[in-house]
Amino acid sequence: MTLLKAEGVTVRYGAVTAVDAVDFAVDEGVIHGVIGPNGAGKSTFMDALSGRRRLTTGKVFLGEDDITKRSPTWRRLRGISRSFQQTSVFAAMTVRAQLEMVARRTKERHLDSVIEALALGQYLGARCDSISYGDQRRVDIAMALVGHPRVVLLDEPGAGLGADESARMLDHVRELCNAREVAAVLVEHDVDSVFRVCDKVTVLQLGGVLASGSPADVRGNQAVVKAYLGSAA
Amino acid sequence: MNLAQLLNGISLGALLMIVSSGLAMIYGLRGVMNFSHGALYMVGAYVAFAVTTKVSFWFALIGAPLVLGVVGAILELAVFRRVEKRSPIEVALIAFGIALLIERGVVAIWGSNTKPVPAPAALSGTWTFLGTSYPSYRLVVIGIAFVVAIALVVWLWRSRTGLHIRAASHDGGTASVMGVNVDMMSLIVVCLGAALAGLAGTLAAPFVSADPSMDTAILINALIVVVVGGLGSIAGAMITGLALGILQVLGNVYVPSVAPLVPYALLIAIILWRPQGLAGTRTQ
Amino acid sequence: MSAVNERVATATPAIDDVPLPQAVRTGLNRRSLLIGLGVAVAVFLVGLAAPSVASSTYNQGILVSGAILGMVALSIAFLAHRSGLVSLGQTAFYGGAAYLVAIATTTWGWSPLAAGALGFFGAIVLAVIIGALCVRTPGMSFVMLTLAFGQALYQFVILDSVRKTTGAFDGLSVTFAPNTTFLGLTQSDIATPSKIWPLVWGCLVVIATIFWLAGRSRFGTLLEGIRENEERARFSGYNTYLPRLAAFTLSGAAAGVAGVLFAFTSAYVSPDVMTFSTAGNALIAAIVGGVGTLIGPVLGALVYVWGQNKFASTSGSNIDFYTGIALIIVLVFLPGGIVGSLERLFRWAKGRLRRRSS
Repeated sequence: MTLLKAEGVTVRYGAVTAVDAVDFAVDEGVIHGVIGPNGAGKSTFMDALSGRRRLTTGKVFLGEDDITKRSPTWRRLRGISRSFQQTSVFAAMTVRAQLEMVARRTKERHLDSVIEALALGQYLGARCDSISYGDQRRVDIAMALVGHPRVVLLDEPGAGLGADESARMLDHVRELCNAREVAAVLVEHDVDSVFRVCDKVTVLQLGGVLASGSPADVRGNQAVVKAYLGSAA
Repeated sequence: MNLAQLLNGISLGALLMIVSSGLAMIYGLRGVMNFSHGALYMVGAYVAFAVTTKVSFWFALIGAPLVLGVVGAILELAVFRRVEKRSPIEVALIAFGIALLIERGVVAIWGSNTKPVPAPAALSGTWTFLGTSYPSYRLVVIGIAFVVAIALVVWLWRSRTGLHIRAASHDGGTASVMGVNVDMMSLIVVCLGAALAGLAGTLAAPFVSADPSMDTAILINALIVVVVGGLGSIAGAMITGLALGILQVLGNVYVPSVAPLVPYALLIAIILWRPQGLAGTRTQ
Repeated sequence: MSAVNERVATATPAIDDVPLPQAVRTGLNRRSLLIGLGVAVAVFLVGLAAPSVASSTYNQGILVSGAILGMVALSIAFLAHRSGLVSLGQTAFYGGAAYLVAIATTTWGWSPLAAGALGFFGAIVLAVIIGALCVRTPGMSFVMLTLAFGQALYQFVILDSVRKTTGAFDGLSVTFAPNTTFLGLTQSDIATPSKIWPLVWGCLVVIATIFWLAGRSRFGTLLEGIRENEERARFSGYNTYLPRLAAFTLSGAAAGVAGVLFAFTSAYVSPDVMTFSTAGNALIAAIVGGVGTLIGPVLGALVYVWGQNKFASTSGSNIDFYTGIALIIVLVFLPGGIVGSLERLFRWAKGRLRRRSS
């Protein structure tokens, strides 16, 4: 069943059209990858879905409800959460304090399971700006996963990490989402990892949808091969 | 409203224009809201007093901005450069502390009594302008202020240094990579900003007299102008400064009972409507 | 590390039948709450003896004025520390409340208690209105807006057109009928520092306790989160506007209490209470003392009032020179203020000693 749906979503900054009439749907419990070259509009699209950026035209639905005009706060409380490409944490707070703060608001009863799954246990008492970048990324993702969201929008969870660490992070995310029955929209640069962990993949190019379908279909799609994947296919 | 009243507004606005453009320049490049700007203006007026009594007002017109330029250099080198990593609010408060010191310094040197500064004899009369006779000194103030403002704009948009200043104000990091000497530009801008405050203080001295409490009023007005004009926007500050001067006089004529509230009402309305100010692009 | 790590969750149980685990808690449990309140009561009782230590009426007067300014400084410090909002307009609530008391008693003939209540609630209403317009824009814009509102109110009370009500530059005296009392104190009691001290000191301790509680509570954590990263707080499901408005209002209410007490103790309210320099001095007292502490702002205010009396001279007060120096030194060399730096030094020394002994 469709959980989160975008209809003709368009975002313009001045003369530049960053996202151009994108139709998109995420089904319940599905990990949906979004790939595309730099400037394809992936991050802007995530901003549009999460309510960070106002749409120029188009609509966003959560189930049957039109949520285009709803605030990020409203969306979060009804099950749409997100992480950020540029790590967004509460720098001067301890890891514990910030996770608990989010957990309280989102009625999370198993904060410890999230902490454990993302291996954050040993950092709970540390200020968030005193731990490594990779650990901060995991705090960011933990905050998105806390509170049993229905769909979590992950904007390059592996950004700034090494290739191995990034791949491991994605496997982690997949496990967590499956265990908690959370759907995910996953924007990622590492195409191979996306094909490995995602159930469905959408390719954006120049703000529009180039292809969408199962990883195998997308991998075999000639337009995608030509435009983006090159030798990777 | 008659022409004389309009000219009063313009002369008040012209002074605000000069003070505020310096404040806006410093904010644009340094990111510092210079809470000591009013004190610099006051020092300008006192230097004008000292030079006028010893030599003549015309020397003060050159001398005061030069002295204040040196004060600006000290401010930049000894203070702003050392705390540039601090938050903008902390630096603003440090500048506020410096203003307190300057104020006491002025009292220590010149005492706390008001010091009248006579306008030069050649300008003590009135000129007839479009059928209205008006104090000639004020007309000269308006003239000087506009010449300085135009020169400043031309310099910023036509000269190489001006280009570098604009680049550094827009994005210091990138400008520095592109070979702009941001430190040098900061020094120039703070010196110039202080010198402009000194010039305004000198020009104002003959009609407001030098007084140790003259800094707060002009500071608050200049801060309002810079915020309304758009933090860091020099053109925005100039236009708003001029407009605020005229508005204040208009307020005195048409709504005298609440006229002093006009600048505040303007600021509050603008910030609520456009938090980034009229010409501003950044919100910090 | 403690309880959270020991709980190893194997499978994820059904959501609704599990109680909230230990991990979901705040920095305020029953034990720390009791300790805090105990400390507050003890501090209050000890402080009652202050007038007998400061034996002269002159010194007692400084204590009273210092405690009142201390409330304003505390209110600024709370807002700055918890919300990161630096207010240069706290005089609006302080001065606003003081003026309301003066107008209500002298002009309208209200009873002192009713006038005090009007001042307090008036300050709250003012704080809600001004806060609603200011807290939307943090950072430098907030400083400017609060400055503008504070100064607008100052310009308002000195307007010639409201001279009948506010006295313009002349100010207003605060007088009430000899047979009426303010919380059992007659006007002459109020004018005696040693008699008003328990009330002033009590208000100060209550305000400090409320700020401590608010800071330690979930509300305080949320304020800290919004200060650190407003966007993330919104994306975590929190409204970020209302908590800041609540913090602003709480802070304004504390300044209002100070204003009411000021009006009664000085028996005279002038536009001085609303000037830019009053706003600046209260902020400086808070910063120099240390905004991250409860003692710092009060100590800063006390020292300021003491200095103000000591250095007063005919050519304006030289206290400005010392406050300027103190402000610069603290901002440049002693982040956290004097009390905050002493705390850090103390912790550092304790750490050194522990390492040496082990």
